[in-house]
Amino acid sequence: MRFIAEENIPRLLGRLAANAAVWAPQVVKDTVNTVLFAPWRAGGEIETGAYSALSAKELVLPATERLFSYRYRRAGEGERIGIKGCAPQERVVIFGMRACDAKALAVLDALFLSRSAGSYNDPYYQGRRSGLTVITLACTSCDSACFCSSFEKGAAETAGSDLIFYPVSGGYLAGPVSEKGKELAAVDLFQDSSQEKPGLAKTAKVELVGIQQRLLERFDDIDFWRLATEVCLSCGYCSYACPACHCFNIFDETDGDRAGGRYRCWDACMFYAYTLESSGHNPRPEAAHRYRNRLAHKFSYFPLNRGEILCTGCGRCIRGCPAGLDFRDVIRAVSAG
Amino acid sequence: MSTVPRKGIKAAEPLVPEPATIIDVIKEGPNIRSFRLIFDDPGITTAFSFAPGQIGLMGIPGVGESTFAISSPPSQRDYIQFSVMKTGFVTSAIHELAAGDAVAVRAPLGCGFPVDSWKGKNILIVGGGIGMAPLRSLLMHILDRRKEFGSLRVFYGARTPADLCFAGDRVQWENRDDIEFIATVDEKHPGWSGHTGLVPQVIAAQPPAPENAVAVTCGPPVMIKYTLAALQQLGFTEAQIYTTLERKMKCGIGLCGRCNIGAKYVCIDGPVFSLDELKNRMVDGRW
Amino acid sequence: MNEFVQTIKQTFKEVDLVLGWVRSPAAGVAVPACFHTPAQADDAVFDSTCMHNLVVHLPRLAGKKVGIVAKGCDARSIAQLVAEHAVDRSRVIVIGVHCPGMIDVKKAWRCFGFGKRISDAGGRVAMEGKTVAREEVLLQKCRGCRDWEPVICDVTAGGATKAATAPPAEPAGIRKRFAAMSPAERRQFWQDQFSRCIRCYACREACPLCFCRDQCAMQARDPGWATAAIDASQSWMAQLIRISHMAGRCSGCEECERACPVGIPLMLLLEEQNAVIEELFGYRAGAGPEVKPPLLTFNIKDDAWGES
Repeated sequence: MRFIAEENIPRLLGRLAANAAVWAPQVVKDTVNTVLFAPWRAGGEIETGAYSALSAKELVLPATERLFSYRYRRAGEGERIGIKGCAPQERVVIFGMRACDAKALAVLDALFLSRSAGSYNDPYYQGRRSGLTVITLACTSCDSACFCSSFEKGAAETAGSDLIFYPVSGGYLAGPVSEKGKELAAVDLFQDSSQEKPGLAKTAKVELVGIQQRLLERFDDIDFWRLATEVCLSCGYCSYACPACHCFNIFDETDGDRAGGRYRCWDACMFYAYTLESSGHNPRPEAAHRYRNRLAHKFSYFPLNRGEILCTGCGRCIRGCPAGLDFRDVIRAVSAG
Repeated sequence: MSTVPRKGIKAAEPLVPEPATIIDVIKEGPNIRSFRLIFDDPGITTAFSFAPGQIGLMGIPGVGESTFAISSPPSQRDYIQFSVMKTGFVTSAIHELAAGDAVAVRAPLGCGFPVDSWKGKNILIVGGGIGMAPLRSLLMHILDRRKEFGSLRVFYGARTPADLCFAGDRVQWENRDDIEFIATVDEKHPGWSGHTGLVPQVIAAQPPAPENAVAVTCGPPVMIKYTLAALQQLGFTEAQIYTTLERKMKCGIGLCGRCNIGAKYVCIDGPVFSLDELKNRMVDGRW
Repeated sequence: MNEFVQTIKQTFKEVDLVLGWVRSPAAGVAVPACFHTPAQADDAVFDSTCMHNLVVHLPRLAGKKVGIVAKGCDARSIAQLVAEHAVDRSRVIVIGVHCPGMIDVKKAWRCFGFGKRISDAGGRVAMEGKTVAREEVLLQKCRGCRDWEPVICDVTAGGATKAATAPPAEPAGIRKRFAAMSPAERRQFWQDQFSRCIRCYACREACPLCFCRDQCAMQARDPGWATAAIDASQSWMAQLIRISHMAGRCSGCEECERACPVGIPLMLLLEEQNAVIEELFGYRAGAGPEVKPPLLTFNIKDDAWGES
């Protein structure tokens, strides 16, 4: 283990900022303690206590990103299209992610960086992901929305992190997870330490044994889903705040005369328009159908297809739900009976 | 963000389409047109290969792209064809296009019909309306390899005679003696001398035997629902029935999330499915 | 059994379900619930954490006969929906409650941690060992409340014994700064605010008057008044579409601002618009089920614009 003193954190981030954009959780100006991950500038205050309202998944899946540019050019009688792809190559260091958010990166890797047959590698995700270094802040405390202990390793999860900071008196113990993390912790701001790691948070546990099967058994009981989700407003907050939700929309925008780009932006499976077909047919017309799909995607379909649960227990969907719906209550209802 | 040179059709940049040019537009019905196109890069047109049932996304940069079945057969090397029904924003814009206009295409995507596993079997094809598009590709492919299969029977239904697509092809199919081609329209119509009645009724009136047979169906959800019921009534098992589905798609490569039916993604696991793979999910119509 | 629960139970003689609140074990505060049987209503609660406007569910329950627990401000939303013929008055039983003034729970949690217990007694609110005067932690709308008595009500079910007396809050923080801004500064202010918007549409979905919901022009491709891009200018445009549609319809329940996960002060826009409507037409949305909303009526003799 390595140790870094609290007062050396700004120095560390300052040095990292020479070669990369540095992101950290910060209180949004003009708000009462709304915390978001944002680019950090020297002297900036970092908020490590309160939880961020959104995950930092935008670093690998920006809310909106250009897929390619196009330009129509005259060719004889008509026009031809010229297309130029985009290849993001940003270098970003993120400080203060939690183990649940970092784990979600590993979960997303299983989809976007898949090498399995019939899968496509996503070059945009890959470009951003390979340039990303994750310094995780281990949780020694939690709130009642947290439920990472429902999953294998809970707060001790290391997947997706490069370097994990464990808060101790006067600073942090630093445990490297990857080669990137080892290099980082080798610099002179750190020193060797034989200190014990602090005890990590024990969060609420939701029983997930057999959930995959129970979801399939419950699938056709639409009245069950209507009841379980009747207060759901069908907004997209839970999907957008979720570090593992990744569904997107694609749309075109023109920049001007016969030129523009195709973009993708976040989309949420809780929106009516998400599956609405141009014929007017909608396979998921009610919030109940959509919630069923959202839950089944996380705990049945994605595990089946990609070997990972599409939820890491960060609790944002519970903390921020405008309807006060507790995701865990729906999971429990599915498991019960 | 830097700009990189573009590579092949779907390996490195699966969300980036290839520029193509329309060489012919065929008016199939009141709201259906077929578009024949070639890629601007001649190397791609030459190397292009696919299986019947596979799909592509065709679009107009600046407007958007939509998913269509490839309706030409793999043996057609001069062009690829998409048949497009005008239903929304993108398809309305596509319907404005004429020969010489530019489009951008991502194809082929998804899985086609497992035709090789059907060798020696009797083939039953049941299409409705625009659902005939992927079945046209399949039918012409089977005709290209006609000797490898048993009997071949095709039911094709539409609301009115004007809604029946592929008029030129139909004349040929009706005149061949190695295929039994039955077109039907929902109700009696002046000048229509063919069958009348809904597809499942016409099937029930001339029941195909399920032994050593494969049934393939594509069409509007309500037609599929009753056709499946009719076929199962005749003794076709779930493993003998195939369909090809169309869902709202954006990425076409299994990432954007919306086209799943249970754990299966129509864009990469389909659009061709055996009923066995879908079970009741398809009949239910809500997933 | 308390009187509140008893009143809800009696409503079941006339309705299929009742919209109310139960206490969430994880959060320790009230969360919305639907009671389908009188027995379920045993869990019903009403306290100063019942901040949600349950009226949002009424338009989508159009086929059912519904009982709904409504605070004074919630009742205004019902009245407006009835006036707009979006809710059938004969299918709704309004169970009016007298509101003690609602605590801004989300804000409190952002300071002290989600689920931290809130005690509200004797005009003081205590949390994590810190005690403050009630009016310091009330929702903005509860300061200077004009709607303690529900404008539409079939049965009353208790609640606070006297009207909340907290005076209107003096504009503080951004409200104060916003009021003093020039148009150019305001433009920059909103550009900054909407750069955080993620277009989750929680504002729209939580709004009781946004009943167009699935067909909303904010999200429509045709007409494409705003693209799907999640960036400041498109998100701002999309929000302005919603706000424009709220003209003369917003009763100021603040649900959009409460629902916003990234803290965009949407009420600054709505309050401004509501004030203009009140000045021009002497109308506050939700004035009563029989009152004709001025922007939904056309009277050739109207001289609201001073142009006749």
